[in-house]
Amino acid sequence: MKIELKNISKSFGSLKANKEISISISGGIHALLGENGAGKSTLVKIISGQLNPDKGSILISDKKINLGSPKIAINNGIGMLNQNPLDFANLSVLESFLVGNTQNSFMSNNHKTKEEILHLFDNYNIEIDLNEKISSFSIGQRQQIELLRLLYNGVKIIILDEPTSAFSLEQKKMIFDTLKKLTKEDITIIFVSHKLDEVFEICDSGTVLKSGRVVYSMHKPFDSDSIFAKMFDDTRTKNKITNKEKRSDKFKLFIDELDKTKQETFSNESLIDFGTVVGIAGLQGSMNDKLVNNFFSRDFSKTGIFFDNGDYIDKEKLYYMPADRLERGLFEDLTLKEHFALSYSNRSKYLNWNDIEIYGEKKIQEYDIKATITQKVDQLSGGNQQRLMLSLLPESPGVLLLEQPTRGLDFNSANKMWDIILHRKKNDIAIIFSSTDLEEIWDYSDIIISVSGNTIVNIESKQNLNKENLARYVSGILD
Amino acid sequence: MNFNDLKINFIRFILSILIIFFLLLSFGINPLDVTNALFIGSFGSFEKIIRTILVWVPISMASIALIYTFSSGMWNIGIEGQIIMGAIGATIIARSFLGDTFISPYIQLFMALAFGGFWGLICAILKVKGGVHEIFSGLGLDFVASGIAIYLIIGPWKRKGIASTSGTEIFHENSWIPTVGNLDFPIFLLIVIILVYVFTFYLLSHTSFGLRLKATGINFFATNKFNFSSERYIIFSFIIAGALAGIAGFSQVSGSYHKLVPTISGGFGFLSILLVLICSRNIFLTFIISFLFAALIVGGSQLQIKLDLDHSLVGIIQASFVLSWLILQRVNLEKKILNIFSKVFTK
Repeated sequence: MKIELKNISKSFGSLKANKEISISISGGIHALLGENGAGKSTLVKIISGQLNPDKGSILISDKKINLGSPKIAINNGIGMLNQNPLDFANLSVLESFLVGNTQNSFMSNNHKTKEEILHLFDNYNIEIDLNEKISSFSIGQRQQIELLRLLYNGVKIIILDEPTSAFSLEQKKMIFDTLKKLTKEDITIIFVSHKLDEVFEICDSGTVLKSGRVVYSMHKPFDSDSIFAKMFDDTRTKNKITNKEKRSDKFKLFIDELDKTKQETFSNESLIDFGTVVGIAGLQGSMNDKLVNNFFSRDFSKTGIFFDNGDYIDKEKLYYMPADRLERGLFEDLTLKEHFALSYSNRSKYLNWNDIEIYGEKKIQEYDIKATITQKVDQLSGGNQQRLMLSLLPESPGVLLLEQPTRGLDFNSANKMWDIILHRKKNDIAIIFSSTDLEEIWDYSDIIISVSGNTIVNIESKQNLNKENLARYVSGILD
Repeated sequence: MNFNDLKINFIRFILSILIIFFLLLSFGINPLDVTNALFIGSFGSFEKIIRTILVWVPISMASIALIYTFSSGMWNIGIEGQIIMGAIGATIIARSFLGDTFISPYIQLFMALAFGGFWGLICAILKVKGGVHEIFSGLGLDFVASGIAIYLIIGPWKRKGIASTSGTEIFHENSWIPTVGNLDFPIFLLIVIILVYVFTFYLLSHTSFGLRLKATGINFFATNKFNFSSERYIIFSFIIAGALAGIAGFSQVSGSYHKLVPTISGGFGFLSILLVLICSRNIFLTFIISFLFAALIVGGSQLQIKLDLDHSLVGIIQASFVLSWLILQRVNLEKKILNIFSKVFTK
């Protein structure tokens, strides 16, 4: 299926998200590359009909299609898998298939449909109870269900908006196999990503966006150096962990299940230095995020963080950042200024908007948030939303509880995130974060908790661990 | 609200009126006659203006009440019940030994606040602790409040010798809301409502309380990150809304009727829901539109006398106004008109 974009432009206020973008894709898997904020999300929203461009047109098989309506896009066979699952959380899997079903009439044969769906799930080796509610699945599983639903509805062009950030390695491999199989059936896939290794692995062609413009078009075989040069301004260097100065204060972590596992080096009585980074490694869908959340909700029968004298750390000192930014972290209809006012409001009951504006502008600079203070947060790119969340945490030392702090961020944005986090670490009591990216865990943690499924497999200082074992722990091979 | 919003709202207003005019024409009614009758009926004399104010105050009060609950993301369908409970609270004082003392209205005000607020609180507790959706509990509580009022009127508070639903005994004059002049200008009510407007405006736009209320309504799950609990702010919003609705009941019982009647809320609670839908939490707009609605209601009586039209026409006008407004809001025609205007003027 051939798809052509011609001179697509879109602005939000003074922000020009897309400038005269023209791309022609004749088939296969096409990569859409670019840093956060490069305009990828806007472009795919235009293709999928969620946004109406200011200018430009889209042709499918040389036929011009109407824009700005998701329904028309679907009728033209364009389906989209969003970065964050966009599904009916309160429906069962089966219902969600029936609800979006374009083929069946009003009196659909439930039984036959169910068989078909089961067959589809079988084909892709996914074991799921169709009567289970969508909300009970992990983000990774929800994305898979969505993808299958699109296939079931017979889409011809599938847009994947940074899908793999939520997939486990195995799931990813499976999806990739599926995608390759699909291209043989004349289905075109637009693969939005910033993970170059993935792009190299499965894509046939690609486009690099930067500041809303097409800066590079490419075909297999790819030249990684020039792609890098086009995507990023600066060279690819990771932040080095600064040599930690020993701090005399200590804290303890209590984790209920720890005593049940065989632990030699760590117990619930182990003293940990202030300023330690604790990484919780686990595949998508494991309890690693939940563990972070447990620390925040202070369910003391399960988890706790306390000083060496046995006192619990106050609730006010626990700073939590959830993984799903717009669902649990930010208020999508509020401006940046109002967010700063909320975090500032602990100081005073009366809002002095002038002071808040000064405070906010300072934070925007300090955290390198690319936005104006009067913008609403849902207009921000993922990286900017993430840095905004970080900037909203209180400045005074505490325990940072970060659920997947760099989920969905490109390399530079992730780096910037860690710069800020590591800068804070000097004063903070501890940083506890979860991630599905083992590289990230390995690079930044002092102590690593490995989680597989719903069990804690291991907790160890990094120096007593090697990367291979870590990978085995989280995939449940070694325990 | 900035100047541009003001212009857009103004154009939307004119367009809505035009739509109603067309509607009236299609009924074979001259819209100018209707406008004239309504205007004379509501503003034609000093007495009529006072009557309009007496209707405006409860509608306005209930609308502000709803701004609080809408801010926290709640549908306060229980507003009618909260108005009724406020009225009952005021009646208790008016019928007590305090009824003939000059402090009666002021104590009534506090009782109305407390009764209405309590009725709102029930809704909030059911929501927060019991997980009952506020629409269901609100609707249920409306019926309960209405039942209590009817029970009191035909039971313990019945007039001597008769048990009818026409209401309780008229209150002692000292229990009436204080007025000035021989036409009984309701100065006290006006002061209260203006204070409520000012207070609400300040609270919602200049305090962290107002911002947190708004944040709660947008994302229930994100508030704990900012060190406050959504549940608490939902409870606050219901208490405040109930208390203000209680004042509306007080205004009805001691300002308009001077007795408790079964239909004491006058349907103003539900009407306010429509009103706040239009005004989308904008306080200035609420002020103006609620005044307009009050004028419609009061002026409506003239339709029958002057034009021999049924009073229900007022309901049709109100409903079409709301509907046109909401549709126009969605279509966003005003922006286009505004653009054309600015082009013409720049030329």
